[in-house]
Amino acid sequence: MTDMRVEFWPAVKKVLLYVLLCSVTFVVCFPLIWALSTSLKPKSEIFAIPPTLIPKAMTLENYEALLTGRQQYYQSGGTAQPSGPTPAQFFTRWFMNSVIVTIGSTIISIVVSTLAAYSLTRFRYWGRTAIPYFSLVGYMVPSIIFVFPLFLMMVRLDLTDSLWSLIFGYVCITLPFCMWLMWAFMRSIPIEIEEAALIDGASRYQVFVNIVLPTALPGIIAASIFSMIVSWNDYLFGRVFINSLDNLTLTVGVMLFFEGTHVDWGLLMAASVLMTLPMAILFMALQRHLVAGFGAGAVKG
Amino acid sequence: MQVSLTRINKRFGSVQVLKDVDLVFPSRKFVTLLGPSGCGKTTLLRMIAGLEDITAGSIRFGEREVNKLAPRDRNIAMVFQSYALYPQMSVRRNLGYGLRVRGTPKADIEEAVGRVARILEIDHLLDRKPAQLSGGQRQRVALGRAMVRKPDIFLMDEPLSNLDAKLRVTMRGELRRFHLDLDATTIYVTHDQLEAMTMSDLIAVMHQGVVQQFGTPAEVYSQPANVFVAGFIGSPPMNFLPGTIDAGRFTFADAKLPLPALPGGVKPAHAAILGVRPQDLIFEGTPAADTLTGTISLVELLGSEKLVEVNLSGQKRMSVQIHADMVVNMGDRVHVKFDPQRVHVFDTESGRSLRAG
Ligand SMILES: Nc1ncnc2c1ncn2[C@@H]1O[C@H](COP(=O)(O)OP(=O)(O)OP(=O)(O)O)[C@@H](O)[C@H]1O
Ligand SMILES: [Mg+2]
Repeated sequence: MTDMRVEFWPAVKKVLLYVLLCSVTFVVCFPLIWALSTSLKPKSEIFAIPPTLIPKAMTLENYEALLTGRQQYYQSGGTAQPSGPTPAQFFTRWFMNSVIVTIGSTIISIVVSTLAAYSLTRFRYWGRTAIPYFSLVGYMVPSIIFVFPLFLMMVRLDLTDSLWSLIFGYVCITLPFCMWLMWAFMRSIPIEIEEAALIDGASRYQVFVNIVLPTALPGIIAASIFSMIVSWNDYLFGRVFINSLDNLTLTVGVMLFFEGTHVDWGLLMAASVLMTLPMAILFMALQRHLVAGFGAGAVKG
Repeated sequence: MQVSLTRINKRFGSVQVLKDVDLVFPSRKFVTLLGPSGCGKTTLLRMIAGLEDITAGSIRFGEREVNKLAPRDRNIAMVFQSYALYPQMSVRRNLGYGLRVRGTPKADIEEAVGRVARILEIDHLLDRKPAQLSGGQRQRVALGRAMVRKPDIFLMDEPLSNLDAKLRVTMRGELRRFHLDLDATTIYVTHDQLEAMTMSDLIAVMHQGVVQQFGTPAEVYSQPANVFVAGFIGSPPMNFLPGTIDAGRFTFADAKLPLPALPGGVKPAHAAILGVRPQDLIFEGTPAADTLTGTISLVELLGSEKLVEVNLSGQKRMSVQIHADMVVNMGDRVHVKFDPQRVHVFDTESGRSLRAG
């Protein structure tokens, strides 16, 4: 009897806990699930009443349209050729633009911040303790404040409407935080292990590559993820710096799906899903390092 | 390889950490730098390793001055107090790293790592990361990393201080054996005088950046050069009594105690400090001119010995070490006596031994 009670209540508790967790997860994920569902529906089903969560007639035509750039226009039941270029035609181009500026700005941010952090923690010079905190303050200034000064600088440099303007713009907003993060991380690496390597016969460069970088890897991964998320999700800089369709990034480009009289929800949702995918995959692949990275930085920072 | 330090000075900003250090570490000897925390032992060791600039003075390995030589060109090995193992590398790669960066062929690395791992009995740990090792195992890996390259000079900074008391005793013997096998000059840093006494061929006792005495363990124990060395070496610590020397006798309170010959001679009423180890004191049945009288205030059993604390007149205390079988009680009045040949006499002003002349 007592045995049964002992086993019964914990089991019930466990079930309740899982029900609770599942419902919270469902609520949080619902917009994403709904977007996925809509993107897989044919036009006729999108506004069907009652709404369906799992499409009755599943179709990949929206994805096909985005990825091939061919798009059929359904207007009031008939088909008509669109008058100008459609957003769907540019989707793959914008996707590539986003990938390029994200990777480009992240590489620059990480290389610069890692080297800067190493220097700040290992060499003695004026301001070595103030710089990291100062850079953190820089990160806290909202980007809207410096987007126009930056724009004017890009005009001077003749970089407007190019991907370079975005790469440099994103470096400006991600570098301070990446540097602070790397600095906090590097500080926690004991200098003795580098000295041990120097005595073992390594050069400064070998010490950095063989000892410091592998030890700092969790920090580098955390900083990279941060930088990629910021660059990938940016709307403001893309909106201000770029004006030709060819050079837009995804975030700004996808907004063009709202223009005109007709909003193709299926297409828009498919675009949103494709836009979310890279970051979601990245996150899942690296989240273990992310937690370790931020944790290690936080302890010492 | 003989290591000579000539008038070595080290300053961090305005703080003078080492003052005119002159030491010669003979080839293949085990030499210990001994001193209290903050006396500059680690700094001196790091200067020998080339990790710290030399403010003034010269360091020579054999005949060659190495002041400007990079650490990796000195053919030294160092065991850090924190072990400083490479956290991302397996034990195998930790051990082999020094050979790898020097371009040793793979097969030779494999061989050398295997040999060292067998000597240190860590061959079953080769594929683990440092985080998966116990303190004692880490310490062995750190030693192994230093041994694998056959260095000319072996530097160790308190390698035993993170180990428990029992392992420390075992490792003392092992380190000593490794030294004999290695054929290298070993410079060992510790603040533990027992470690220094048991392991070293020579001890340099340091205090506030100055070398106080450099000699064999027997010399620093039985002929301490000054009050600091006398108080630092030996356990339980030496007793000190302040007084004056008159006509070959030491006056403390009412007692006139016999003294050994003082070759340097003394002024009349020379202010001096008498030092005598607890082991060199005995209890006498009756008071006499050459005994000190006091009351027992504490008795501690150390095992085969007892340490007895005796309150003398004038707020002074003395500890006396006696055989554990002897019966003594707190509050007993006792008369303490010593052999004049076994006491140390120091000049109050300079702290220097008056026996040395
Ligand atoms: N980088 C530095 N900058 C300024 N002062 C320093 C520096 N390194 C050491 N010191 C000072 O030099 C003195 C000697 O330090 P050192 O580390 O050599 O002592 P130690 O004898 O090894 O002591 P311990 O037994 O505690 O390790 C100390 O007073 C210390 O504060
Ligand atoms: Mg030290």
